[in-house]
Amino acid sequence: MNRSDYKADARSWLKAYGLALSLFTVEVVLLYLFTVRFS
Amino acid sequence: MNRLDYFVLIATILAIPLYGLWRTRGSASLGQYLKGDASIQWATIGLSVLATQAGPITFLSMPGQAYESGIGFIQNYFGQPLALIVVCAVFVPIYQRLKVYTAYQYLGERFDRKTQLLGAFLFLVQRGIAAGITIYAPAIVLSAMVGWRLNLTIWLAGGLVIIYTVAGGTKIVSITQRYQMIVILVGMAIAFAVAVYRLSPDLSFESALSVAGKMGKLEAVNFSFDPHKRYTFWSGLIGGFFLALSYFGADQSQVQRYLAGGSLKESRLGLLFNAAVKVPMQFFILLLGAIVFMFYQFEKPPVYFNQPAYERALENGYAPQLAALQTQFDEVFTQKRALVRALSNVSSDERGVAMHKLRELDAQTRDLRDRTKAVVAQAGVDPKSKESDYVFITFILQQMPHGIVGLLIAVILCATMSATAATLNALGSTTAIDFYRPLIRPTASDHHYVVAAKALTAAWGLVAIGIASFASLVENLIEAGNILGSIFYGSILGLFLAAFFIRRVTGSAVFFAALVAQALVFVLFATTNIGYLWYNFIGCAAVLIIATLLQKAVFRGTEASSGV
Repeated sequence: MNRSDYKADARSWLKAYGLALSLFTVEVVLLYLFTVRFS
Repeated sequence: MNRLDYFVLIATILAIPLYGLWRTRGSASLGQYLKGDASIQWATIGLSVLATQAGPITFLSMPGQAYESGIGFIQNYFGQPLALIVVCAVFVPIYQRLKVYTAYQYLGERFDRKTQLLGAFLFLVQRGIAAGITIYAPAIVLSAMVGWRLNLTIWLAGGLVIIYTVAGGTKIVSITQRYQMIVILVGMAIAFAVAVYRLSPDLSFESALSVAGKMGKLEAVNFSFDPHKRYTFWSGLIGGFFLALSYFGADQSQVQRYLAGGSLKESRLGLLFNAAVKVPMQFFILLLGAIVFMFYQFEKPPVYFNQPAYERALENGYAPQLAALQTQFDEVFTQKRALVRALSNVSSDERGVAMHKLRELDAQTRDLRDRTKAVVAQAGVDPKSKESDYVFITFILQQMPHGIVGLLIAVILCATMSATAATLNALGSTTAIDFYRPLIRPTASDHHYVVAAKALTAAWGLVAIGIASFASLVENLIEAGNILGSIFYGSILGLFLAAFFIRRVTGSAVFFAALVAQALVFVLFATTNIGYLWYNFIGCAAVLIIATLLQKAVFRGTEASSGV
């Protein structure tokens, strides 16, 4: 893997981590709304 | 259980290992035996990681936990997605690059042999005991409720796992876990649907949730800073992060699952799959417990869910006391059911008063159950596990249709087998690679190490069955596993984080720091009552701080590795 391939690969993994983090944030917000709605 | 249940149960638990044995027939090299082969893809890795973590306790105890204390336990998983991202970014590339069989080999390369052995030793102690609990926990409940002999249940689950894990190594563990996890997810989805369907038509599903929420069962997120509260957003996020980082980054039973992937990409995708699905999956399992709670607002529950223990107490001469408590329980239940039924017809002004009354009656019910428990204990009956562990199995056996009962018992046994297989596979590999190969036979053939790994896996299986046969639990099954992990994981994680991020620290400084940190955690566990998740953070922080201080004060001048 050359340097530019390596950078592109690293960028795509950063996007994947960002996506996983965003999904987790949405899950926590939904759980919080669930708590507020039903408690 | 009838014949149909037994057919579904036996077919399910035998078919998967037999298929795995067929898929992995033939001889394997050491690499194939310990790491599978390059054909294992991310979906299999993802389900395998999920199955390793879940275990029988998740499916047996967690609904009972929600029934008893609500769904706040979900917060324990909040640190996990963050930890999995760190494992993907930092741990996995290093393990893949160094082509290690075990995580502790990395400690040997970065520091020295004694630090590698310490990390591996802490893992073996903790996981060896945990493997016994994993087999014992469902066996004690199933033997009591289904009437099987305890030792037979332990040997049935443990013996089958030993046979196929020894025969097929890492590859068979991954293959069987994939199908066992599919059975588990399908079974739990069916249980959820049946539980919702069986709710009383007197209340809509939304109203039922509303009542459960008002009775304190649906508080999923709590932002309290009180360190004595077991489940809060902060303890889950911070303590849970360190627990998950240690578990996924430094526990060989998980490391071996994702190193089975052919490439860095497959390993990372498998872990990110877990980051996405873990919190929702746990939420639905806990919610199932809350729905079972609502079901028992209309259908009278047993005053004491562990019925075999209750019946022994009756036989031991405590029938008058238990009958008096049962009468009071029946009266309170009748009042409570009438009140819940009336809730859909009351005005919003009256609703507040009705809910207040309902909470009072619920408190009376809990008090009567506690008093019953005290009488059962007084009768000399030691149930050996928390009563809430019997809630979900009671619901399965009494309320589910035949066929589904067999499937759900199979779910519990599949979960036992999948978690135990991963653990035995890791214990055998770690003993072979970190102890046997360097200390006893450093220059033998590949075939010799495969045979040694198989023999050690079988030996650990027998140790786990031995622990299961003589175990008696002091607390809820979920708690026992998590508390044990939290006591050891902080120090183990500290070793790895020092290796990754403190470039100048040497093996001796880290080694002694880990010993001191482990002793500190033992002392805190014995003398304080702080939430157990914090031990992960404390143990890890203690290793990093003490190692840095020792390096500067005692080991200054010794040569530090530049890092791997």
